[in-house]
Amino acid sequence: MTPQYTDMQLDALRELANIGSGNAGTALSSMLGQPVDISVPAAAALPLADAVEAAGDPETPATGVVLPIVGDLEATVLLLFPPQDEATLCSMLGVAPGTEDGRSALGEIGNILGCSYVNSLAAMTALELEPRPPETVADMVGAILATVLVTQADQTNLALLMDSRLIVEGQQCELTFLMLPSHAGIGELLGRLGLG
Amino acid sequence: MGASELMVRMGELAVSATPGDVLVTIGLGSCIGVALLDARRPIVGLAHIMLPDGPSAGPEAKFADPGVPLLANRVKALGAARLEAVIVGGAQMFSFSGEGGGNIGARNEAAVRDQLGRLSIPIRAASTGGNKGRTVRVHVDGVRVTVREVAAVEEEVYAR
Repeated sequence: MTPQYTDMQLDALRELANIGSGNAGTALSSMLGQPVDISVPAAAALPLADAVEAAGDPETPATGVVLPIVGDLEATVLLLFPPQDEATLCSMLGVAPGTEDGRSALGEIGNILGCSYVNSLAAMTALELEPRPPETVADMVGAILATVLVTQADQTNLALLMDSRLIVEGQQCELTFLMLPSHAGIGELLGRLGLG
Repeated sequence: MGASELMVRMGELAVSATPGDVLVTIGLGSCIGVALLDARRPIVGLAHIMLPDGPSAGPEAKFADPGVPLLANRVKALGAARLEAVIVGGAQMFSFSGEGGGNIGARNEAAVRDQLGRLSIPIRAASTGGNKGRTVRVHVDGVRVTVREVAAVEEEVYAR
């Protein structure tokens, strides 16, 4: 059967997302030399078909940076950059968007943000978490998210999304940061928090 | 056109024989959209398959087995007699793979082809593989299948 999560468990995961994205925001801020705001993160358990729509209209194009996380728990970190925000970010970094350099710069941002998020999670939960090298794709948001969700879908029909938005102040630049723990990974996280 | 679009989300299936209806799946990545069309009458169906097979329980078209036979039964229930298939999706968007290993898109395509073979349903067109996501539309009018990749124009892959 599909597991359910209590409000207390979701609150705890939201708090992890809050601390993780806080660290990621600090990393982004020091990379860009600009203040970065973090939206209040969300943690939600959704049926897979709903989860695909959690990052907005599934047909809109975006660049996605994906970092598989392995170790004591399996998870996927996914950063989504809408085209306009990607262009702003690339110009702040002095690279041309849509080029090999642009893609590589976004991959590197994804890598640094993902690692800072995951390292803070690892520190809080005493779990060994190892991010794999990032992959960058430009496609429909729905296709990117669905493909990530499917890799974790054979045992469950519910996806847990820890969702934060990072906003570069005064730059009209915003990106979505998603942490998607696998079914077993969620249990592991909650167990470490004493809420398993 | 006044067409009415029916969304077929991940793991779901839909059928229609209503003029003007269009069955739509947006953003197929490694998933496969299986369109079943009646060879004579305007009756169509679309299933959004996520994985080859696995434990039961869940959305009815999550797995190729039993999602494909289920879709065939639904279009037959609308009066379809001789079925033809068009398959779309099964891309490999990332090089890493998740549980089960291997290229999920390719395994999905193989599983769907196997199920269609068992049901003796011929595949009239396929837009599969590669590394791009696809949106598929199955139109009752004209019994047509159109496919669109990100930031590209919609292309007709099959029309009767």
